[in-house]
Amino acid sequence: MSGTGSPPLRLTVNGRDHDVAATPGTALLTVLRNDLGLNGPKYGCGLGECGACTVLVDGVAARACVIPAGGVAGRAITTLEGLAQEGMLHPVQRAFIAEEAAQCGYCLNGMIMTTVALLARRPQPTDAEIRAEFARSLCRCGAHVEILRAVHHAAALVAHEAK
Amino acid sequence: MTPPRAALPRTRDDFHAARGVLVVVRDPPPAVPPARGQPPTVPADPAEGVEILVAVWDDGSVTGLCGHVDLGTGLRTSLAQIVADELDVPFDAVAMALGDTARVPNQGPTIASASIQISSVPLRLAAAQARGWLVERAAARFAVARDALATRDGVVFVAPDPARCVSYGELVAGGHVQLELDPTTPVKPVALQRLVGQPVPRVDLPAKAAGEAVYVHDVRRPGMLHGRVVRPPYVGVDAGDFVGNSLVAVDEASIAHLPGIVAVVVIRDFVGVVAEREEVAEAAARALRVEWKPWPGVAGLADVKNALRTNPATRRVVAERGDVDAALASIAQPLTREYLWPYQLHASIGPSCAVADWHGERATVWTGSQNPHTLRADLARLVALPAPAIEVIRLEASGCYGRNCADDVAADALLLARATGRPVRVQLTREQEHLWEPKGAAQLMQVSGGLDAEGRALAYDFSTSYPSNAAPTLALLLTGTVAAQAVAFEMGDRTAVPPYAYAHLRVAAHDMAPILRASWLRGVSALPNSFAHESYIDELATAAGVDPVAFRLRHLDDPRAIELIAATTRRANWIPHTAPQGQGSDGNILKGQGFAYARYVHSRFPGFGASWTAWVADVEVDRVSGEVQVRRVVVGQDAGAIINPAGAVHQVHGNVVQTTSRALKEQVPLDARGAPEAREWGAYPILSFREVPVIEVVTMPRQGEPPLGIGEASSVPGTAAIANAIFDAIGVRLREPPFTPETVRAALGVATPAAAAPALAAPAVPTGSITPVRRRRRGAWSVAAALVAGALGMAGALLGWRPALAPVGASDPSLFTAAALSRGREVAAAGNCAVCHTAPGGVTNAGGRTMATPFGTLVTTNLTPDPDTGLGRWSYAAFARAMREGISRDGRHLYPAFPYTAFTRLSDDDLLALYAYLMAQPPVRNEVAKVDLPFPYGRPAIAIWNALFLDPGAYAPDPTRGAAWNRGAYLVEAAGHCGACHTPRGALGAERGGGAYLAGAMVEGWEAPPLTAASHAPVPWTEDEFFRYLRDGHTREHGSVAGPMAPIVRDLASLPETDVRAIATYLASLHGPAGDTAAVARSLAQASRGIAVDSEAARLFDGACGACHHGGDGPVLVGRNLPLAHYSSLHSTRPDNLLRVILEGVRDPATAQIGFMPAFHDALSDRQVALVAAYLRARFAPDKPAWPDLESAVARIRAHPTP
Ligand code: FES
Ligand code: FES
Repeated sequence: MSGTGSPPLRLTVNGRDHDVAATPGTALLTVLRNDLGLNGPKYGCGLGECGACTVLVDGVAARACVIPAGGVAGRAITTLEGLAQEGMLHPVQRAFIAEEAAQCGYCLNGMIMTTVALLARRPQPTDAEIRAEFARSLCRCGAHVEILRAVHHAAALVAHEAK
Repeated sequence: MTPPRAALPRTRDDFHAARGVLVVVRDPPPAVPPARGQPPTVPADPAEGVEILVAVWDDGSVTGLCGHVDLGTGLRTSLAQIVADELDVPFDAVAMALGDTARVPNQGPTIASASIQISSVPLRLAAAQARGWLVERAAARFAVARDALATRDGVVFVAPDPARCVSYGELVAGGHVQLELDPTTPVKPVALQRLVGQPVPRVDLPAKAAGEAVYVHDVRRPGMLHGRVVRPPYVGVDAGDFVGNSLVAVDEASIAHLPGIVAVVVIRDFVGVVAEREEVAEAAARALRVEWKPWPGVAGLADVKNALRTNPATRRVVAERGDVDAALASIAQPLTREYLWPYQLHASIGPSCAVADWHGERATVWTGSQNPHTLRADLARLVALPAPAIEVIRLEASGCYGRNCADDVAADALLLARATGRPVRVQLTREQEHLWEPKGAAQLMQVSGGLDAEGRALAYDFSTSYPSNAAPTLALLLTGTVAAQAVAFEMGDRTAVPPYAYAHLRVAAHDMAPILRASWLRGVSALPNSFAHESYIDELATAAGVDPVAFRLRHLDDPRAIELIAATTRRANWIPHTAPQGQGSDGNILKGQGFAYARYVHSRFPGFGASWTAWVADVEVDRVSGEVQVRRVVVGQDAGAIINPAGAVHQVHGNVVQTTSRALKEQVPLDARGAPEAREWGAYPILSFREVPVIEVVTMPRQGEPPLGIGEASSVPGTAAIANAIFDAIGVRLREPPFTPETVRAALGVATPAAAAPALAAPAVPTGSITPVRRRRRGAWSVAAALVAGALGMAGALLGWRPALAPVGASDPSLFTAAALSRGREVAAAGNCAVCHTAPGGVTNAGGRTMATPFGTLVTTNLTPDPDTGLGRWSYAAFARAMREGISRDGRHLYPAFPYTAFTRLSDDDLLALYAYLMAQPPVRNEVAKVDLPFPYGRPAIAIWNALFLDPGAYAPDPTRGAAWNRGAYLVEAAGHCGACHTPRGALGAERGGGAYLAGAMVEGWEAPPLTAASHAPVPWTEDEFFRYLRDGHTREHGSVAGPMAPIVRDLASLPETDVRAIATYLASLHGPAGDTAAVARSLAQASRGIAVDSEAARLFDGACGACHHGGDGPVLVGRNLPLAHYSSLHSTRPDNLLRVILEGVRDPATAQIGFMPAFHDALSDRQVALVAAYLRARFAPDKPAWPDLESAVARIRAHPTP
């Protein structure tokens, strides 16, 4: 976008506004990690292929490595760190812990964030829908079985707590 | 909350100096003498004193220390279980320290699943010994006999009178007690274990799920800089004269324009850049011009099997019984087979990362290495410090399964920290991790043998060729610290001896040097060896006409194996069969079941036996597509005593998924030079969630037995089980994983289905051909007349005849009405002035953007009202003359790249409004270079050009058309100057008239597609679609805007809706009736769905692009996933726009909803981009001919990036 000088970039992350010194073309992932000190989103490929960097943009899953930070200024960005409410982990996080749905856990951020986005859209997904949603979320340790269980578990928890 | 004391000490000295603690230590074990053919071990340094194993603190907390690290296997949890159990403390009282060289014992690399089997032993003894000491102390305090006391939850109490008790904390308070490890200390009997054998939840997961865990990637130090490395051209090869000797020059000026560069570090072939910010380091690594000597490549790797056969080797017979040669000479039914394993990747999800800090005589390195002590020795060598001066702090990292680039990057970070004197974090890119990680080696297994007359396995003559090595830490080689010689190790012998009672047996390892850089990958050489053993015995069973499981049992005498096989096949409902294809088919789907068994024997021959494992795999094979689906895997495992049953099951699941992935999909593609070609996940696909089988685990109850490694053992027989199941399904034996659809199709003799689609049955599209004709207002005679006038004009120009118009004082913006200003803003937006008159990153309309034209490169002018460098002294008359006639205020001709041939059509009112608007903007001083093109394109020639091609005068409405149409035509022809891009130009650079008007052209390397009925759009354009496309930047029926059109759409956003609608009305009138476009769109999208033939190209597309581009059966991500079948770029005669989007991505889309696309420039080779493009064309534009010579088109576009 044609710029008029370079005013600080303002991002709304986990409910708070932040002015950052990065140029608008800097990857959102880099800004979240380096300027805001957030460790949830991880660098895996930088190409939108693996999902390790997933955050939510207005509640929809987004791969922060392919998004220039300037492109999401003014939109609500949520990271793994922003899921907990009043000191209580999000039900999806609790479900992943309960099912031990990670080995090294490098992919865990992406799996949890993708689940949150999926359940917001489809509160009771079928197994096939879950597999489709995660078709391009990569895990090399092979925690897939536990992750699939965790998504079902999370769906049940979210439904239960909504009551 | 104060942290427990157990977590605090960072170094051995901290432990030794502490009060209120009981520590159990041991003398470092003596150095292991170097063994032939094995990588050298790094012994403990006696100067570092005793090794600390366990510490019990006065706050009740306990530290356990182990030299091995947790790779996501749950080791931290399991070891804590062992310590807490032996000590009788609550589980959460234990803090495990793993891997940090300044405090933990040196127990060698974390490999071969030996952590529980071997490295936990001293830890457990130490915990038991500490408990004994505590009981002893309490006995003295209570003056009772030792055996009157019991322990529980960190308390010693008098068993008959539990009120008489004392906590461990009290017992150690105030003092410092050090016990020497007594290896004869009795440990708890199984019956008394409370935690071992229980599914204790993983200690690390809550923090990981909350985003609070600190991985090595998350280390931040005060003042930390960011580094990137630039690797040499000998991709993934670490032996040869060229290693460390290939750098020619580094041009630091090539990154001088980047802000915050701190250092460029060059040591022979080691090249690194350091910057204050990570994105700058990233850009610098990309932009840095580095010249390398040419690299010839790896000869002969095109044929991996032959390369292994001919790689110089030393034959080493490791097992022999009977007389193999005699048996083979007289065998009733001989069977000779070869099995080939491909090069594979560890493929960690997170590319390696490390942080280093240099303090002069000491250094600290934060790493995710699997081998911290070995790494420390390498680092010490690299920077010539004694090893103890380097503190290696081990943090969790992405799972690694052997040895990825974690060690390499730690060394890189240390070099950059030394050069800058500040902490430096180095992150490898995905591309570097894929290309440079030491590969899991290819391997060739050859078997001669067969059956005797009774159908029993008689002889087994096995040889295995494994070109692996220790993959020296890269920086040692690149800097020339260590000579880059290929060293042959004796490592191919893991599990090389088959478990079956072949009467005559000979097993030989062909020890050989590496070809590609390689290191151990889960299962090391055992996995391929077992693949051969277990495939071969299956082949024998078929030859003997015996069920494969029954046949194995006839040749097995190990009772634990026999029990395991029985339990596993029972759970799996094994269907005994003596010939393949007993399960019949279901349409095109053939079903099969396969079995395999192994006991993983690891470490130096004869090695240690880890767990016993059996697999039953159920597969389905599509006989047309060749796709193999592993539906269900039942894994039986006898791992002895299990520390954490939940953890053990998770480990087996992980092994099954990874092994299935390796069996079906994984192979490092090699380019023409023999170098690895995969730089991202499309070229090296791994199993996706869609393909994950149902997994059932059968665990043998063996709690009384010693615990055995499970981390990789359950992988070992997996590939053979799958190959055997495929054989059962299709009746053809596959001996060379991966079992891709191509392999299966070839095995079945099925022709590869053409990627091209069946003829499209699209609803008929009415093809009205309406050729728009730009209505010239004068005929041929007037052109001739003008030519004469132009010639005169030129003469005039030479004589300075076009007068300069007098400069005027600054305009007073208050003279212009608000209405004029607002109208002017719209005209500017419709004319997209800012798009050309703004330099990248510069001030809007202040000029300075360079524009490449076929006649030379021009620089756009400053349109702000700055008096000296902009329009500040331009009168309206001067402005109008420039716009209508292309004459600058000073009388010089403007180059027609400035589209005055269109602007001349502006109405007087609009021209004045535009002038008002520009004059009302804040003046910006920006001197731009004045460019004069060389003869014959000099400014005087433009007079002639104008005579030929300029037809001055405002737009004249067409009275036969409606107001909206005329408004649209006016916007398109005048301010919008759409023709400037969309109309092809003649030899002299003028837009061609007649039928060529808006018929499509190339601009700055992009195709501005035809806007007329000549459009490539597969779905006919309608007024509504044009409107939405221009408003939103995307539509379902035409995809999204990209390239130079994106800023145009952004500008159009400030135009009133009626104007955009008018443009759409006009443009739609250039097309015939559209018919039922929704039906056309549906059928196109539909047709493309049926053409998903699995192939390298399809996999590339799926892996690289599939997260965002799919037919609705993939993830929902921010941005639009529009049907690719509808994009005109895929239907065009030229591939340019598609190739540009793939290479350059979409970084600045027309509207936010479109979403972003990464540039694949660095991630895909020319060949790969060409493959993807050809695939997309065939799949989404199946009625169009294939684009010719795509690979050179990719190279051409790569060489000329969009400015
Ligand atoms: S890091 Fe963003 S998708 Fe892989
Ligand atoms: S748990 Fe390691 S990559 Fe998924």
